[in-house]
Amino acid sequence: MKPTCQGPLNEPLSKASLSESPVVKFEVRDRPAIIKLDKVKVTLGQYQALEEVSLKIPEKSQTVIIGPNGAGKSTLVQTILGFLPYQGQVDFQPHKPRFGYVPQRLDFDRHMPITVTEFLALGLTAWPLWLGLSGKVKKSVLAGLELVRALELAAKPLGALSGGETQRVMLAAALMSKPEVLVLDEPATGVDINGEQLMCELLDGFKSDYTIVMVSHDLPTAKAHGDWVICLNRRVVAQGPPDRVFTPKILAATFGLHQGLELFSQEALV
Amino acid sequence: MEILNSIYDIFGLIYEPTFMRRSALAMALLCLSTSSAGVMVVNRRLAFFPDAVGHSVFAGVALALLFGFNLQLTVLGLSVLIGLTITFLARHSHLASDTIIGLVFSGAVALGLALVSREPQATSGLSRFFLGDVLTVDDGQILALAGLALLSFVFLFFLTNRLTLSCLVPKTKKNTWTDYLFGAYLALVVAISVQAVGVLLVTALLIAPAATGRVLSVSLRGMFWLALCSGLLAGQLGLWASSLPAINAAAGASVVLTNVLLFGLASLFRSLGPLR
Repeated sequence: MKPTCQGPLNEPLSKASLSESPVVKFEVRDRPAIIKLDKVKVTLGQYQALEEVSLKIPEKSQTVIIGPNGAGKSTLVQTILGFLPYQGQVDFQPHKPRFGYVPQRLDFDRHMPITVTEFLALGLTAWPLWLGLSGKVKKSVLAGLELVRALELAAKPLGALSGGETQRVMLAAALMSKPEVLVLDEPATGVDINGEQLMCELLDGFKSDYTIVMVSHDLPTAKAHGDWVICLNRRVVAQGPPDRVFTPKILAATFGLHQGLELFSQEALV
Repeated sequence: MEILNSIYDIFGLIYEPTFMRRSALAMALLCLSTSSAGVMVVNRRLAFFPDAVGHSVFAGVALALLFGFNLQLTVLGLSVLIGLTITFLARHSHLASDTIIGLVFSGAVALGLALVSREPQATSGLSRFFLGDVLTVDDGQILALAGLALLSFVFLFFLTNRLTLSCLVPKTKKNTWTDYLFGAYLALVVAISVQAVGVLLVTALLIAPAATGRVLSVSLRGMFWLALCSGLLAGQLGLWASSLPAINAAAGASVVLTNVLLFGLASLFRSLGPLR
């Protein structure tokens, strides 16, 4: 079985430990929605990627969006971020939040000469890179890298990083923009086991500071990190706390019968 | 003009004839603009953009001659228009940007040919733009090149970070005006450099120094300064070589060959040396 993302100490998380999470002052479902979508439709080219999506993302929640490939998960977060045109309503409370976005992949020219420090400085200063970086900017960049335990990457070329390293750098970039909502698209995909473990630990550490919206097609990740789960398959199949959403019936409706059965057998083992 | 004369005196240490001193200065100013702009052209993968805009000057010249417009203004105006058109189409059409550049490129050439074929006497005005000649620049063109160099540094001072970020992270709506500004700026650089080295060689002047810089560096800062240095060096070396009696080749061609030679040496150095 694929190594899964679990708590900081790598203990299997029970349902009890999830609901007793110390940051949750009151039930997630009772918290006000920071983002609310009403009948949102998105068409990409000639393909309707999202059909009538209505959902809410509670404040300071760790919302996990799950669904099979092609369910429109990335489309959904890009719509929330304002990158895609849509029909319907997207509302933010009390105002449009500052987003920190970690994309699934950074598709860029890997031979482009730019160091990690230079890349992170791009978001901090308008002073052109070719004139060098001020001590203040360098200090902020190093502080950002320290947050994601990636200090050793500072002088490396961006194109020479592994998948996990790239994601940590992107996470640093997102955090350095002082976001209110942290959006992560498949943070554990294309990353080696150590990278995945590290990413999970980091996310657990940031839990109480931000509203986190995370895309995943991996159920154990969703179970370990989410306190609000949205099941998506081009429309919202279900949304709610994990213990309400992770039922064989809902999962079968989201992923198809096979996946639902698999989870059913896993639960039977527990 | 006092300043120009004292600069000519410096170049006078190398070159006897005044026209050579003048073209050395023109080449230096031109390379300042093209080498620095080239860094963005190479990193944004726009290598064929200068070609498309460069070829549109034919249509510009033909239009100016046919209708009696001011030649420079028409050429610059049409180039900027073509640059903005490519940027617009690349953003709003379903086609890949190389298809669009190819389309605009052929369209511009065809328009130029169509206009010229109606008005055969226009061809005489075209040769300057086709081959260019850095050896015949006058003080007015030197001032224009100095202005262009200044514009380049102002532009890159304010927009380097935005342009770099937009080729690294996914497209967002925010980049719209940066893209158009870059399209217009690059078109200006091309339209002015074409008159010094000609359409056939203008791409090389933009691409080669940046490619040399890119091969030799791991940081954007390094790439920028190496591109600038190699561009300036190749410009002066090429000009100097072309004036040697033993070589006696066209100045523009000699400069481009030197640029390509420097790139070759840089690649060789990289494949031998322990970079990265």
